[in-house]
Amino acid sequence: MAENSGADPAVEGKSEENAATGGTIIMVTVKTPKDKEEIAISEDASVSQFKEEISKRFKAKQDQLVLIFAGKILKDGDTLGQHGIKDGLTVHLVIKTAQNSGLSPNSSNAGTANPGSAANLGTSQGSGPSPAPSQPANLFTGFGDLSSLANLGMGSSNFMELQQQMQRQLMSNPEMLSQIMENPLVQNMMSNPDLMRQMIMANPQMQQLMERNPEISHMLNNPELMRQTMELARNPAMMQEMMRNQDRALSNLESIPGGYNALRRMYTDIQEPMFSAAREQFGNNPFSALGGNADSSGAQPSRTENREPLPNPWGPPDASSTGTGTTTTSTTTSTTPSVSNPLGIGSSSLGNGVFNSPGMQSLMQQISENPQLMQNMLSAPYMRITVTPENPPPPSSGLGSTPAAGTNPTQQQLMQQMLQMFAGGNASTQTPEVRFQQQLEQLSAMGFINREANLQALIATGGDINAAIERLLGSQPS
Amino acid sequence: MDSNGTAFPVQLYIYDLSRGMARQLSPIMLGKQLDGIWHTSIVVYGDEFFFGGVGISSCPPGGTMLGPPDTVVELGNTEVTEEIFMDYLSSLGETTYRGERYRLFEHNCNTFTNEVAQFLTGMKIPSYITDLPSEVLSTPFGQVLRPILDSIHIAPPGGNVINSQNNHS
Repeated sequence: MAENSGADPAVEGKSEENAATGGTIIMVTVKTPKDKEEIAISEDASVSQFKEEISKRFKAKQDQLVLIFAGKILKDGDTLGQHGIKDGLTVHLVIKTAQNSGLSPNSSNAGTANPGSAANLGTSQGSGPSPAPSQPANLFTGFGDLSSLANLGMGSSNFMELQQQMQRQLMSNPEMLSQIMENPLVQNMMSNPDLMRQMIMANPQMQQLMERNPEISHMLNNPELMRQTMELARNPAMMQEMMRNQDRALSNLESIPGGYNALRRMYTDIQEPMFSAAREQFGNNPFSALGGNADSSGAQPSRTENREPLPNPWGPPDASSTGTGTTTTSTTTSTTPSVSNPLGIGSSSLGNGVFNSPGMQSLMQQISENPQLMQNMLSAPYMRITVTPENPPPPSSGLGSTPAAGTNPTQQQLMQQMLQMFAGGNASTQTPEVRFQQQLEQLSAMGFINREANLQALIATGGDINAAIERLLGSQPS
Repeated sequence: MDSNGTAFPVQLYIYDLSRGMARQLSPIMLGKQLDGIWHTSIVVYGDEFFFGGVGISSCPPGGTMLGPPDTVVELGNTEVTEEIFMDYLSSLGETTYRGERYRLFEHNCNTFTNEVAQFLTGMKIPSYITDLPSEVLSTPFGQVLRPILDSIHIAPPGGNVINSQNNHS
């Protein structure tokens, strides 16, 4: 009967089970997201007594404490015994800080708006189709970034408006653009072709363009192409490379009789309207935002069948796709397991850690460019080969039991594909010979009869015919 | 009796990142049978929550690039309301589950899921999932690949990052 819990008159009900009755003391671990403490409490204690102890230890008010055990919220009137809380068990604690889910409003300036706004756009889109029972207001407070958006004055949850504003910010600041591209979240988003297509199609100018030029909509609807584009767009460095190759290829095209006219036609019909549409939004030539293709690539027309959607609100629009080689022969990084893609892991689903680690990235690029390097790596002493076609049980000689780099050709392919997949972007999933079949034929038609050398050159250049030709000719400028 | 009637079902979504290849290749490569490379997430309040290289993310259930889950485990019901849960997630996201704290072997998506599952329901996730890193590391091949794998951050695209404040340095 004694109010053993001190000055707290808020104990309702069950007041007969207070510590004065001399229950045994148990140690209960109270765990918050940040840390945990052990609290000694009588096993007959009520929840409110428990909370009092906790509030002293955690320096929080009792009203702010939310105790959870076994999925149930412990109410003040309950007892510990009621919930089965015994010695040594863990109770979870959440300290409510404010009604706004305790998130500090983000004073976003342009700098921090980078990943923040990226998350915002994704968030506002994600919250749209979400079937969550909570109202949008709850989501706004639940995600700190959105509440920061409100602070910015961009309180609109309309995706289109957000997009427009973001674009304007982006295009006025190329630095920010490259920063955004680096952001793993953005890269994640861009690896979702459906998402990208939606975003692009939502742009009214693109829609007009598509009406005028049905090829463009055809191209947008080609998932292969979109995926290629996404991979390119994600990796600005690689894209610059691609564009340079493209430009070289195009300059070849000019030399064909009548070719120049074809180029001009392409440009005026297709590319110019796209550029104008893009320019209206971006305020300058989209290519200059890349900050790397200063000279001719800006106005350079591209091949007809490799048209990329230009107004990419998230990043550098690439008006030049991969060469015909990689487009037609590679199966890209689909995520369904197939014979040629045994691991079935899309490089996008593997995440960005591999891409983002610069050392790793350069290593992988080197490897994919130089298969000899990979062979060396594989045959290093700690990766000794033991595999016969039947599965070997224990590894011989030390640590390695990896698929042979030299013995079993199918497993060699496997390893190669695996490593190529790790390398991302220009990864393909077939053996070089199959991949470059078309290029090989073209090369031999051009008069390069040394198939071996052709293959080597193609592997080294990743399927780019013109670069391969240059290699074969001893880096003679084309 | 003490329940005020609100109970939110909690589910565990299990994905095999290797799409079946681990089941086929693991005997060859690792010398032991692994049925999958498991990535898990918690689905509650109609949203899916998971931890990856970018921090704690959320999306509509099955909304990542991984598509629908391979297995769904019912973890039971929770009385925790969404508001409390988001509070909790924010605190987690500031401390132990920031994006940079992601470690493929020791502190990955399954670590997060395990903790959240215990918070919400008191139950842990199946042990074959949490045992996976140690299973891999106990093989010679796993040890060899460890430096490479350590740098991999699995972050299935399609989610929105939950952050209470943007990364301070």
